[in-house]
Amino acid sequence: MQDAHSALDDIWRVRNAAATTLSLAEDQMRRAIRGASVAELTALIETFSPARSGGPDWTRTFEPLVERLWAWRDTETLAALAEVFRAKGMPWMAVAHALSPEHNPETAIRHPAWARMPAFAVA
Amino acid sequence: MGVIQGTATIDRLREEIQGVRYREATNTFCRLVTEEDRSLKDTIKAAIASAAPYVQVPSHLMRLPSGEMRGVNYDHTILGWRGAISLMGELGGSRGILPNIQAMWYVPQGLNVWEQVVCEFPGHYARDGEQCGRKFPGPDAEVNRFDGPAWNPPKIYFRDHAPIFGGSVDDRLGRMNWAIAEGDKAEAYGLFLGLAGEPEHRKRLKDAILFAGITDLQDTIINRGGYQNIGHKALRARALVDIADYLGWDDAHELMYTVVPDLGCSPRLYGLWTEIANICRMEIPDHAAIPKRSAKPVTERELDGLTEALLWGGPFDVNAAIMALFKRGAGVLDVGDAVVVCFQRYLIDVLEHPNAFLHPTHALDYMNVVQFWVRNFDNPHQVKAIFMGARFMNDTIRSNANFPRDPAMALEPRRNFRAWADAIPIDRILPEIKQYVLAQDAPRSCALVDSYLERTEERHDLLDTITYAACHWQNDPHVMRNGASSLEEFRHNRTSRKDDIVRGYVKHQSRYVKRAPTHDCYRVYADYFHPANG
Repeated sequence: MQDAHSALDDIWRVRNAAATTLSLAEDQMRRAIRGASVAELTALIETFSPARSGGPDWTRTFEPLVERLWAWRDTETLAALAEVFRAKGMPWMAVAHALSPEHNPETAIRHPAWARMPAFAVA
Repeated sequence: MGVIQGTATIDRLREEIQGVRYREATNTFCRLVTEEDRSLKDTIKAAIASAAPYVQVPSHLMRLPSGEMRGVNYDHTILGWRGAISLMGELGGSRGILPNIQAMWYVPQGLNVWEQVVCEFPGHYARDGEQCGRKFPGPDAEVNRFDGPAWNPPKIYFRDHAPIFGGSVDDRLGRMNWAIAEGDKAEAYGLFLGLAGEPEHRKRLKDAILFAGITDLQDTIINRGGYQNIGHKALRARALVDIADYLGWDDAHELMYTVVPDLGCSPRLYGLWTEIANICRMEIPDHAAIPKRSAKPVTERELDGLTEALLWGGPFDVNAAIMALFKRGAGVLDVGDAVVVCFQRYLIDVLEHPNAFLHPTHALDYMNVVQFWVRNFDNPHQVKAIFMGARFMNDTIRSNANFPRDPAMALEPRRNFRAWADAIPIDRILPEIKQYVLAQDAPRSCALVDSYLERTEERHDLLDTITYAACHWQNDPHVMRNGASSLEEFRHNRTSRKDDIVRGYVKHQSRYVKRAPTHDCYRVYADYFHPANG
C-alpha cells in the first residue's frame, strides 16, 4: 500500500512537472508569436506544406497553431497572412480559409476528432 | 425522354459505346432489355465486349517531355459492372437495375484513358479531371467537346491473344504469376485463358489471380503522384471473379480481355508485400496455420487500440497492433473484421472534405477484396493480406493528414441533429434518409441513421435505402463499388461494432464529392423501368 501510494505521489509529481514545462513553453511561444513579423509567421506556416511537412503528426498541429495566432495576434496580421496564402493558389486555400475572419476558432465549429491536440490548459 | 429513332440492336449499342455517345448508349441498353427482350446478362456482356479492346493502356505511368512521370488512371468501366451486379441482389425488384444503368452510362466515358489524359479523346477523365475543354476548346464555346461524341476511333494498345496450353497446372499458375510480376502481359493473359477453359482448375485460377492483384500494392501514396495503384490490381481481380461467375466462365472471354492484361501493366509494386512477408517470417513463421476464425475474437479494448493505430499511428504502429492480435491467437477473419470496423471511425468522426474520401475508400474496397479472398479461398499467404489492407488504410489516412484541415469544409456535428432525428416516427425515417442523402446533407443523414440503428434491429431496408439513394448519382463507378464492399462486409462482420459499417457508409454516400450535379441517368432508368416509390 505504501509503495502504491508512493507511486501515485511520483506520477502526480511528474504530471506537475510536465504541466509546468508545457506552461513555460506556451509562454515562450506566445512571446515569439507576438514578436514575429508577417514574413516570419509566413515561413512558419509554410512548414505545413505536404512537401515540407515532417509528417501527419506535424500537420495535425496546424489547428492548435491557428488557434494561438487568433488569440495572440491582431486581425490585421491575420488578414495579411490570409492574403499571402490566398495568393499562393488552390493548394494553400485550406490555410487561407483558416486565417480568414469567418473561421476564427472562437466562433467557428470545432471538430473534436480531427483536432487531436486540444486547446492547451493546465488548470 | 426524347423520341428514339430506329431499332435497338447490339451493333448499335457497340457503335454508341465506341463513339462515346453515352446518353444514346444508355437508352439503347434500356431498350434492348425492355423492348427487345434481351436478358440483362446478355446486354451487360455485349457492353463489356464493346469496350474491351479500348480499356488497356501502355502503362499507368506516362513519361512527360520534361522527364517527369504522371499517372494514367486505371479502367473503371469494369469496376462499375462489378458493383452493379453485386448490388442487383441487394436492391429489391427493378430498383436493382439502377446500378447497372449507371454502369452503362459510365462505360463510353471510360474508354481510351491514355488519350483522354492528353486531351485527344473525350470522356470522363478528359472532361472532368484534365479540364480539356478549357485547355482545348472546340468551335462552339457552349459545347464541351470532351463530353463526346468521339472524333477519332479509340485506340487499341493490347490486341486479343490466343490461349496458352501445355504444362502442369502448378507450372502454368506459377508462370502466370511470374509473367504478371515481370510485366509480360501476353504470357500472363494467354496462360490465364488456357486455364480458364478448364473448369476443374477455375477455383485455383481465381485464387491465383486474386493473389496476384492483392500483392501488387504501393507502400505509400504520400507525395507519390502517379507511382501508386491505390489497390486497383486487386479491385480488377475481384471484378473478374465476380463478373465471370455471373456471366458464366465460358461466356467471359471479353471480360478476361478487359481485366487480365492490366494486371501485368506497369508499374508493379511489391515493396509493401516484401516488407509484410519479411515481418511475418520473423514474428509468426507458422502464420499459414492460423485459422480463419478462432475462439478468441478481438475484444473491445483491442478494437480501441487498433482504431488508435489505424487512425492516428504510423505504419509500424499498425504492424505492431495487427501482429499482437495474431500472436495472441486471433483468427484471420477475426482480425480482418476488426480492421474493417475500426477504419469506419475515420469515415464517421474525421473525414469532412468531400474530396478526401477517395483514397481511404479505395483502401476499404481493397480490404473487402482481401476479406473476400480469405472467406472463399485457402491460401497460405492470407494473414499477410490483412496487414496489407490495414497498412493501405493507415497510409491513406496519413496522406490526407498531411494537408491542413480546411475549416471551410467543416461539418456540423451529427449529434446536433440527434433530437430532431429521434422525433421522427420510425416508419418515416427511411424516406427521410433517402431525402438527406440525395441532398448530400451528411450531418442529418448520419443523425437519422444513428437514431434508426438504436431504435430497431432492422438493417436490410436501411441499407437498401442508402444504396438506392447513392445510386442516383452518375458518372462514378466508385459509388457502386463501395456500396457492394460495404454491404458485403456488413453482412459478414462478426464484431460488436458492425453497425459502424452502416454509419461509415451513409457518411461516405452523403458527403463524397459528386462528378455531376444532375440525375439524368436516373431519369433514363426511371423512364424505362418505372421504379415503385421513385
